[in-house]
Amino acid sequence: MAGDADVKRRIKSVENTRQITRTMELVATSKLKKATDRVHAARPYADALEEIVGGLYSPALSEKYPILRRPDEVKRAAVVLLTANRGLCGGFNSNLIKQARNLMEDLRGQGIETELHIAGKKGVAYYRFRGEEIVTEKVDVSDSPTGDDAEEIIAPVRDRFENGDVDAVYLVSSKFKSAMSTPPHTRHLLPITGDENASSADVYILSPSGDMILERILPAYIRNAVYTALVENAAAEQGARRSAMKSATDNAGDVLEHLTRTYNRARQAQITQEIAEIVGGSAALE
Amino acid sequence: MASLNVRVVSPDKTLFEGEAASVVAPAWDGQVGILPGHAPMLALIGSGALSVDRPGGGSDTFYVAGGVVKVERDTVTLLTEYAGHEPPSDVTVDFVEDVE
Repeated sequence: MAGDADVKRRIKSVENTRQITRTMELVATSKLKKATDRVHAARPYADALEEIVGGLYSPALSEKYPILRRPDEVKRAAVVLLTANRGLCGGFNSNLIKQARNLMEDLRGQGIETELHIAGKKGVAYYRFRGEEIVTEKVDVSDSPTGDDAEEIIAPVRDRFENGDVDAVYLVSSKFKSAMSTPPHTRHLLPITGDENASSADVYILSPSGDMILERILPAYIRNAVYTALVENAAAEQGARRSAMKSATDNAGDVLEHLTRTYNRARQAQITQEIAEIVGGSAALE
Repeated sequence: MASLNVRVVSPDKTLFEGEAASVVAPAWDGQVGILPGHAPMLALIGSGALSVDRPGGGSDTFYVAGGVVKVERDTVTLLTEYAGHEPPSDVTVDFVEDVE
């Protein structure tokens, strides 16, 4: 029977698919574990750095360091979008892209020009397809991002800010709250907003001097913000992929059950029919 | 006896966290010793050995390169670009050269 063979082939195919999605789920789970460890390991440094920079900031310094400048009017803003290099992770990439698009629409609505800096193949592919200009792009960030990756992404943006080509920098990436919750998030990276309540630098012995410390620490601060975002993004990607692959595996199971039932019913119908034919035939002989 | 609360943090890990009787850190212009009751301080870190003396005697030595140390109310937070039990294999930290 032709129908039988068709159903059998489909069962085989869905079984193969389930095998693949289950493997991908397992791979994502093990990568997620490592990525989560990296997120936790990166937090203390980021927090401590933030505290120090917040405490050192003073308006007088912004005259001296271009990176601390606070433009009165924002004419042009840079949006740094971090996406994954790979797909098959549910709405992860599209959520990030949507967040960037909304942000850029918002900014344009306020009469601010925007420019894009993208890390991750998915984001690059989307904006290329849309024909939008991408100022800088980077598509070789691995599953375990390094400080050098972060530096490469942010260095051109930082230069543009210091030169006054852009007046604000936003960073769009996923926040890693848990493996299940990885909402896209926009961080206002530059200009740096000092914490006005922070303990003033006056009470500290500063060696060699506040200026020099800032000069060394600020680039590290900006780079680390991007590094943290990269690490969180990588973990969020694996979390999203695990969920997506889990539901794909579950769904394949449902489809299989349905197909097996259809197949069995068809087979049973055929057997019943054959018996009926034999019985009918022998009855005719008597 | 008063003791210091010490944390040595690099971007990818927390190398040390705990109590210490004293700390000798490689500041940008030479070693700096920190004892309990030290005035609030913020200093650039060069590169070299960092030794942490345990309250009960004995000490741990780490290698750090670049960063900043903050001392406040007997809490020492040392942020560094590199931290490990071995000196960095590639001594290309431009930080140190710049300061010198």
